[in-house]
Amino acid sequence: MVCYQCGCQLSEQDYCTSCGADVSLYKKIICLSNHYYNEGLEKAKVRDLTGAIDSLEHSLKYYSRNVEARNLLGLVYYEIGESTEAMSEWILSMNVEPKKNIASDYIQRIQNNPSRYDVIRQTMKKFNQALSYCQQGSKDLAVIQLKKVLSLSPRFIKAHLLLALLHIDNEDWEKARRELNKTLAIDRGNTQALLYMQEVDKMLAPDDIEKNDKKRKKEETVRYQSDNEVIIQPANLAEGTRGGLATILNVFIGLVLGAAAMYFLVLPANRKAAQDEAQERVESIAGQLDSKTNQIQQLENQVKALEAAKAQLEADLDVYEGNEGKLKEMDQLFVAASTYLSTKDVSQTAERLDHVRETIKIEETSEEFQSLYNSLLALIGPELAQTYRDSGYVSFRNKDYGSAIESYSKAVYYDPNNADALLELGDAYRMNEDSVNAVTIYNRVIELFPESDTARRAKQWLHDYSEGDAE
Amino acid sequence: MINFEEELKKFHPSTEVEEIQDDIYNRSATDIAGVFEQMFVRKEEVQQQQEQMIGG
Repeated sequence: MVCYQCGCQLSEQDYCTSCGADVSLYKKIICLSNHYYNEGLEKAKVRDLTGAIDSLEHSLKYYSRNVEARNLLGLVYYEIGESTEAMSEWILSMNVEPKKNIASDYIQRIQNNPSRYDVIRQTMKKFNQALSYCQQGSKDLAVIQLKKVLSLSPRFIKAHLLLALLHIDNEDWEKARRELNKTLAIDRGNTQALLYMQEVDKMLAPDDIEKNDKKRKKEETVRYQSDNEVIIQPANLAEGTRGGLATILNVFIGLVLGAAAMYFLVLPANRKAAQDEAQERVESIAGQLDSKTNQIQQLENQVKALEAAKAQLEADLDVYEGNEGKLKEMDQLFVAASTYLSTKDVSQTAERLDHVRETIKIEETSEEFQSLYNSLLALIGPELAQTYRDSGYVSFRNKDYGSAIESYSKAVYYDPNNADALLELGDAYRMNEDSVNAVTIYNRVIELFPESDTARRAKQWLHDYSEGDAE
Repeated sequence: MINFEEELKKFHPSTEVEEIQDDIYNRSATDIAGVFEQMFVRKEEVQQQQEQMIGG
């Protein structure tokens, strides 16, 4: 304990040994604060948390800087689910005693656990919402909300009490008792819970039930005196004495009630059943309709796919059947082969083959087509080449070098191994003053037939040409 | 018999996490020890004033 004036440690004396201030009353105040703190601690130990809160608040009223009392108050608040109140107390405690204060540990434990922190936030929001529902009269919503609150924070006393109150209001005594038992398990001294429990016990007391039963039985009997005897008779029998009119009236009322029950209960039930049946049928038909629609969609897709395949096949067929189709090409080749086989006429066969070569690209045809074409070419090639070579020679002699080039080219095409025809083609180019092609052809002769006389002639010409060019 | 409306008035909204700071600022920090200290300070001031008046 320190002096309020100079801050020095106080002794047993009623005055400050440092500054001389009168501290007798001040020491009594501090002692009272400590006394209430001890009382609060004792109550907290036996789970009289409401009493503990009361004592600790008293302690702080006397001396608000009593750190132990404030920390314990925070702890008790935390125990009954009032987490925000607890945090407030601990923060205040930290302000009074920033160092070596267990309150900082408590705060850190909450702040370092984000899920716990979020649960506290949600609990307070939902409880306030539930209280708002109660005030607005939406008791069912309030019950639902409070159940959510208690699922988040099962020790939240205030929520248990409010839920118990709602159950009491709804005359749901057993549920109310359950909530109150939970409350009292946490806080034995909760006066509000004890008060509610008293009310619930009164409503559920067996004595009262027996009394109520006796009273009801008494009401259900009719007592009257006949001479010296007291006759106790059930009330129903007593009514029988009132005569036939009452019986008729009762029967009539019964009929009316029966008709009303028929009108209000049976007919609506039948109507509802018919509506349900119709609804089921509609749903069934709708389901079938959906299924059929899906099938139609699938079939339409199949039709589209088949149409696309058909178009593709037709296009392929056109390729084979068209004027310039593959079948036509095959026909031309067959005609050429047929001509050669039947007539052995090389020139006619050559014309057919030339036509085939001009209209199609041989390298793009099928392997069988190429095989037949090459076989035919091999059969007539050398003979045909010789014919074209002769024709080229005539043109060359007549100095018609253009025709000669054309004939020699065909000769080379039909017989690529004919070195003389190739050399003569080079000569025709040379005489036609086409040096570039002439050089190319001579080089080809040298390359293809290196050891032949033709090659030597080609080399000689190239040599002459290069010397002439140098001059 | 418990009156629901009357009992409901005993329940107050809980302090939400966002409101803790305001709750702390709005609390009355006055305690009896504080009142005593103020009384002492006041008493000292009055004594000083009286001494000044006598001295004057």
